Amino acid sequence: MINFEEELKKFHPSLEIEEATDAIYNQDMTDMADLLVSLIKEERAAGQSQE
Amino acid sequence: MTEHDFCTNCGAEVGIYKKIMSSANLFYNEGLDRAGVRDLTGAVASLRQCLKMNKNHVDARNLLGLVYFEMGEYVAALSEWVISKNLRPNKNIADDYLNMMQSNPSRLDTISQTIKKYNQALSYCYQGSYDLAIIQLKKVVSLNPKHVQGRQLLALLYLNNEQWEDARKELERCRKIDVNNTTTLRYLKEADAVLDIEEDFNAPVKKKSIADTITYHRGNETIIQPLNGKETKLSSTIVNMIVGIAIGIAVACLLILPARISAASEASDIRIKEIGEQLDEKNSTINSLEQEKNSLTARVEKLDNELATYTGEGGTISSMDNLLNAAMAYLSNPEDTATVAGYLDLIDEGFVDTSTETFREVYNMLRSKIGATVGSTYYDEGMHAYQNEQYDEAVENLSKAYAYDNTNVDALYNLANAYRKAGDNVNAIANYQTLVDNFPDTELATRSQSFLNELVVE
Repeated sequence: MINFEEELKKFHPSLEIEEATDAIYNQDMTDMADLLVSLIKEERAAGQSQE
Repeated sequence: MTEHDFCTNCGAEVGIYKKIMSSANLFYNEGLDRAGVRDLTGAVASLRQCLKMNKNHVDARNLLGLVYFEMGEYVAALSEWVISKNLRPNKNIADDYLNMMQSNPSRLDTISQTIKKYNQALSYCYQGSYDLAIIQLKKVVSLNPKHVQGRQLLALLYLNNEQWEDARKELERCRKIDVNNTTTLRYLKEADAVLDIEEDFNAPVKKKSIADTITYHRGNETIIQPLNGKETKLSSTIVNMIVGIAIGIAVACLLILPARISAASEASDIRIKEIGEQLDEKNSTINSLEQEKNSLTARVEKLDNELATYTGEGGTISSMDNLLNAAMAYLSNPEDTATVAGYLDLIDEGFVDTSTETFREVYNMLRSKIGATVGSTYYDEGMHAYQNEQYDEAVENLSKAYAYDNTNVDALYNLANAYRKAGDNVNAIANYQTLVDNFPDTELATRSQSFLNELVVE
């Protein structure tokens, strides 16, 4: 049985056209490649510090 | 990149990177496949996975924007296309999509209105104004029939109102846009569950009997033919016609006849009212005429009476005639007192009292002129009748004798005696009393008094 109140909570207001710019700027653009690069950088930094 | 897991230029290890790119492509292909079969929710999930692997996957981003646009999520679509355009400024199909949006201000305005109305509807929902929310959402889906979230929310409100059929219609439309949306499917399952129970409950069991058909083989074909198909059809047609006519008559009776009867009743009521008013008016006229007639009748009677006083016996004209005849007779022959007295006797004494002064003067003058002679004559006749014991005649003549000559005490005395002997004691007493009063200290007064005493004692 559907709980109306709970289902209603799943609906959220749509972004309006005027808010599109903010939505674009605030979008998380990090991808797996970025994570990989950051991991490699951290690993290298850790290796250099040990040396 | 090459088939090797290292960079041929710098020698860097790129195996993992290549796997990531490969996974991104895999997700893109999956998203493309899902979008192809209108599994838009699935396509969004796959394409977002692809972009998490490779944010620079322009095709995936463009496709994601397209899927968002198809689902009615315009701002998300625009965002994806704008980012895509930034990633690849040239030869990018996102450029076409953005131009399509920007070149048509009315479309952009419609999109903006749709978003505003959807947000307003959602606000109404949060406030508990579900009816207003339904109205707004109907506007949303009329502006953009592919607004999945709008339809889903509308269906949810219908489900809440137990409008199962309406909810199912909306959800079916959602499913045509996005075949595998889990929210849609969940709501649809809910609506179907209720509607199926109702259908099972309401639907009559209808099974076609095998006995109603005849089965035979012709070559390799098995032919199943209904028994008495034509007869059933013809009879059912006739039955349907009869039922139709009956329903028509029933509808006419229920809808048309009451209206006609009501109209006729109203018309007759109005007519009855008019007739009633006319009747009242005529009754009033009759009453007034009756009153007028009664007053006229009374007036006629009054005039008849007045006329009778003039023309009738003892009336004015008759009395005047008698007085004139008496005067004429006296002037012709003063000695003929009998004729004069005859005319004067015809005049009612009551009329004399009410007549004019002139009439009374003439009347009294004539009576005084002939009074002594006539009185003597009447006295003689009266006494003659008295002596013959004819008392009625004696009373008549003696009363005239005293009337013409009121100094004739003998006439009055004998008149009283005549009354007494005739047995009329009342008049006898009255005349004796007159004598005692008018002629006191006379012998006749003494006798009268003694008679009076006797009569009073009796």
